[in-house]
Formats: sequence, C-alpha cells, structure tokens
Amino acid sequence: MKLGIIDLETGNLGSLKSAINKLNIKHRICKKKFDFEGIDRIILPGVGAFGDFMEKLEKSDLKNLLIDKIQKKVPILGICVGFQVLFSESYEHGVNKGLNIIKGQLKNLKDENLNIKVPHVGWNECKLLKDCKLFYGIKDYSDFYFTHSYFVKNFDEKIVISETEYGTKIVSVINQENIYGVQFHPEKSQLNGLQVLKNFNERC
Amino acid sequence: MLKKRLIIVLTFLDGVLFRTKNFIPDYRYTKNFIDLWSIDELILIDISKKKFNKEFLDVVFYFSNNCFVPISVGGGIKKLDDADAFFKSGADKIILGTNSIKENDIIKQISTKYGNQSIIQSIDCKKISSNNSEYTVMLNSGTQDFGKDPLTCALEALSYGAGEMLINSIDNDGSLLGYDLELISLLSKKLDCPTLALGGAGNWQHILDLFEKTNISAACTQNIFHFTEESISSLKKFLKENNIQIRK
Repeated sequence: MKLGIIDLETGNLGSLKSAINKLNIKHRICKKKFDFEGIDRIILPGVGAFGDFMEKLEKSDLKNLLIDKIQKKVPILGICVGFQVLFSESYEHGVNKGLNIIKGQLKNLKDENLNIKVPHVGWNECKLLKDCKLFYGIKDYSDFYFTHSYFVKNFDEKIVISETEYGTKIVSVINQENIYGVQFHPEKSQLNGLQVLKNFNERC
Repeated sequence: MLKKRLIIVLTFLDGVLFRTKNFIPDYRYTKNFIDLWSIDELILIDISKKKFNKEFLDVVFYFSNNCFVPISVGGGIKKLDDADAFFKSGADKIILGTNSIKENDIIKQISTKYGNQSIIQSIDCKKISSNNSEYTVMLNSGTQDFGKDPLTCALEALSYGAGEMLINSIDNDGSLLGYDLELISLLSKKLDCPTLALGGAGNWQHILDLFEKTNISAACTQNIFHFTEESISSLKKFLKENNIQIRK
C-alpha cells in the first residue's frame, strides 16, 4: 500500500511532506505518469491559482490519469486548490474548467457583499453535518487553518460533510464515494490536521 | 467563526535568534523555546547583512519540518527568485517590506505564481508629530521617510496582489507599552483584507485591548514570550476568560 502525493511544482509541498513524514506514512512524490506505479491512494495538494494549477495538470499529462484513477475508485484527497479543481469550474481570473468530477462552481467571497475580510485566513471551525471516515476521532467544531478567497456554490448538498461559517456557509469538507476534499490545510492544522491525514491513509 | 490569531515574530542574525532592539544573541532558544503546539502562526525574519544565507534558510527548513502551523518568512525579498528561495525552504507565506513598497510590481510577480494568500505586505508606520493622528511610511528599517501615508501604501500593495497587511508601529516597537490602537483602527477599518498588528505588546492586557478595540485579525508579538516566563497557553486562557474567540 503506498500513498502518492502529486507535485505540480505550483507551490510549497514541504509542509505536507513533513506532516506525512511525522505520521510515518510511506509515500512517493508523483510528478509524471511513471511515478504512479504501485500507488493506490492519492493526495492532490494545491497551492496557487486555479487556472495555473489546471494548466500544469494538463501539461504534465496527469489530468486523464487522475480521472482514470478516480473512476477506478482509488481514494483521493484534494487539499485547498486541489479540492477546488475537483469541481466543474472556477471564476478565478476568468472562467477556468476544473476536473468536473463533482458538480459545483468556485466563486470569489469578495463578490458576495458579505462584509468580511478576504481572503479568509486563519483558524475556523468545521461543523460536521454527517459522519465521515476522514473525521474519525475528531470533535465537532474543531479548528482548522484556512487560507482562500474562493468558495463552492451550486453544489449537491449530499456531498457536504462539514461547513464553516465565514459571512456565509462555506463548504469545508466533501465526500463522494472514493473522493474526499478539504478546503483547509490539514498539514498546517496541527493535531486535528494530522489526524485527518492519518484517517485518509488508514480508513478511506 | 473565524478565530483571532496569535503570531510570534522571531528575528534571526546569521541563523541565530535575536531579540529586537537591544540585539542580544540567545543561542539556547534559537530552535526550541516555543511551545509549538499552542501558537497559531510563526513569522521568521532574517536581519543578517547577507540575505538568503544558508544558516537562515536552514532555520526556515527546521521550523517547517517541526511545527504544523503556517510559517511566514521575510527579510530582503527583492525579486521572484528571492521568494522562491523562501518557499523552497518551507515558507507558506512570504513577507514583503521596503522593496515592494517602492516597486509594487514584485508583488504582482509573486502573487501570479503563489497566489494572493501567500503574500503579507509589512508597513512600518511612524507618527508625524505626537499631537495629531497622521502617519508616514518608513523604509529601510525605519531610517528613511517615504513620505506617503500608510493607507495609500496598503491599498497600492493590495491592488498589486498582497493578501494580508502587517501594520507595524515604529513608535511603539519595543516599548512594551501596548499597541498603537489609533493607527491600527484607522487601517484595519479601511482595509478589506486580514490585518496583523505588531509593535508594543508588553502584557496580556495589551493583546486583549487590541482585540476588543479594533477589528484586527491577528496580534503579533516579538519579545513578550521570552522576556517573561509566561507561556502562550496562559495568554490563551486569559483571552478566553475575556470572551475573545481564539483557537481551541
């Protein structure tokens, strides 16, 4: 059993790697198709802009491979922008198509007239709406570290595991079969975050 | 609900932790004095003459490997390559100062690659005279008057892609007399990005005042945790007792 962490070189993977190392999880950094040999669990971390991220995914030939793996029910965890690209499209710097695995659109919090500071940065609570293997052993309303400007709209309520209050209700965790996604950064969320990563590796 | 953040700022000279103002090196504490499990965020600043030295990058790498909270790194960033060096060493965000106030374009370059959320613009503010509430922006560690007001500089930085604003009061820095609440209210009210306050915290009450009297997102402190024996958890307990929403 081996975990693959996708590296598109769009940002810093260091903190995710050190969190995974801290948990003693065997893993491989995956940059090309060839790297996925023997990988049966995938983390798609995301730092940077949506469009840039999708472009790198296409250029590296990993887009189709990723869709194929997901269809073959390989567990995948999207983090932050890696979570956002699972949806249909984003309105960050124009309209950009996502992987379109899950129905939903990413819209800027700024355009909602919510009277909040954007980006949404800092520790905020996840209100659990449903049980999920990803949140095994984690209390309701636990704090996680968020840093983002875009949030999901026009989604299917069934997939929502937790929501977070920031001027409006933000979808913070989703699950649909083998697909998991978190808007926050588990690798920056101390013990709760480490528990999410551990759960993904052991239970999902 | 979004919590108020507590951030520790650490300054380093050639990879060794320094206290600001009186600059006494403190080798014992360099890497292991912080209660890494209760602070919300860390800021690491290089004050060495030779920037991007191996000693400092090693410090960044060390912290990013050992504490699972966001780490922001600053000190001498002039171009995209400089930011790359910090991100590669494990920074989650970078802090821009003098150079990006003079040349806004660097902000755009970094935000295009890493996103707005990865950039904190730091602004050193100084009162023009003690009997009014007008401020000016200072450059080069407070030695040069830029001649622009802080709000104008902050709005410019935001328009080029900064994500957060660090408001530093030069007058109160190191005084331990409390934050400049007037300056901080003035800016944090008018800016629609998260704002961080630095300069002046000398006791827990100062931090409470900051959170109660302004809508600041985060309190930054430099010296307080090692000048006193008290730990971050006692501060958190104090803030909680006073109904400030902080991380559990």
